[in-house]
Amino acid sequence: MIVLEKISKYFGEKRALDNLSFKIKEGEIIGFVGPNAAGKTTTMRVIVGYLKPTTGEVTIDGKDPINERIDVLKQIGYLPENNPLYQEMKVFEYLNFIASIKNNRDNLESLKEQTGIKEVYESKIEELSRGYKQRVGLAAALIGHPKILILDEPTSGLDPIEQEKIRNLIKTLGKKKTIILSTHILSEVEEVATRIMIINKGEIVYDGAKPKGKGGVEKLFKKLVK
Amino acid sequence: MITLFKKELTYYFSNPVGYIVAILFAVFANFLFVKDLFLRGDSSMRPFFDILPWLFLIFIPALTMRIFAEEKRSNTIEILLTLPIVEAVVVMAKFTALLTFSAVALLLTISLPTTLMFVGRLYLPTIAISYFGAFLLSAVFVSISMFFSSLTKNQIVAFLLSILTIFFLIIAGGDFLVSFVPRFILENLNSFSPLYHYGSFLKGLIDLRSVLYFLSLTVLFIFLTTINIERRD
Repeated sequence: MIVLEKISKYFGEKRALDNLSFKIKEGEIIGFVGPNAAGKTTTMRVIVGYLKPTTGEVTIDGKDPINERIDVLKQIGYLPENNPLYQEMKVFEYLNFIASIKNNRDNLESLKEQTGIKEVYESKIEELSRGYKQRVGLAAALIGHPKILILDEPTSGLDPIEQEKIRNLIKTLGKKKTIILSTHILSEVEEVATRIMIINKGEIVYDGAKPKGKGGVEKLFKKLVK
Repeated sequence: MITLFKKELTYYFSNPVGYIVAILFAVFANFLFVKDLFLRGDSSMRPFFDILPWLFLIFIPALTMRIFAEEKRSNTIEILLTLPIVEAVVVMAKFTALLTFSAVALLLTISLPTTLMFVGRLYLPTIAISYFGAFLLSAVFVSISMFFSSLTKNQIVAFLLSILTIFFLIIAGGDFLVSFVPRFILENLNSFSPLYHYGSFLKGLIDLRSVLYFLSLTVLFIFLTTINIERRD
């Protein structure tokens, strides 16, 4: 479904990604972990076509996310790092805006319940707590039933209760969608993911099954990332 | 495109930045014309239309500076460019919203000819054609300012670059350069200036070459903005 072949990305002289290659099958929940500045967000941006790789190829169901971006982006729900939102808009205005662009309002009503934003639906985004803003971002990503969800640090900055709610939602969504969850919260990956990829200094240092036992991901991470 | 156009236009009408700029523009335009009206002793609107490019020089960059710069600063550009919408449509929607708002601000000055009709003789076709010329001029300035806004995250930088560029374009068509530039260069330089082409509209003439000039310059900067937004580096 998602194929990255020998992807490298340079920002000037600085190498952000080095020869990344991997395939993601339909229905997988990938826990994409790494320390800060490892290249997680850059990888997510290359997959959705927001950044062009310096070398290499990305395809999603055989399509190039840059040259065939409209077809590709119709299949993807993307929650970027730090969850940028139009702060001056109300929640319903923002979601209606996204639904209009995606030309799909099928699940707009059900998303209110699913993401728990019913009580803030008429509120201005700038007035919301961080937790609610994250849920609005997630709701926007889910509009139009995308087959693929790419979530970059979806629980970053949330309290433990909010983190658990988002994780539970991701687990439910994972039954029907392909998910890439980029995070540096290892316990999150342990709970939710079916496959782990560890990236460090722009290189994939591990790509495989979740280690068994509680704390297995953390032990593996500490062993591979120095 | 309509969705994005409505979103941008709603922002300018509901945000103080938008309507304060529009009101200040109308107030200054009216004031600068009216202050010498009775000293001049005639009801010609020519001085009003002569002032307009200089008012546009400040007000249009002020209005436009946030259009892409703010999206880049707050990173909402990442949301916009990862939705299934073509970049050219994004640029056109924003341009159209800005142009519409600028046209509304220009229309706020319609009280001037309406009032002058009672105190003097006005040749309405000339005024209508002059407003059309002003509208085309504003389209060029909007497209230039939008381009510079797409180059940076900093609204002030976008504002200053726009003002500088528009200023040099304006003076290329003015008498200011007569003392510095040889005549044969000046004559060629004039034809590149929006002011030179704007002048024909103020005489009540719709010169198709001037219309083509304005449309071409507008399209050029919209194209450059689109190229910049399409870059994925």
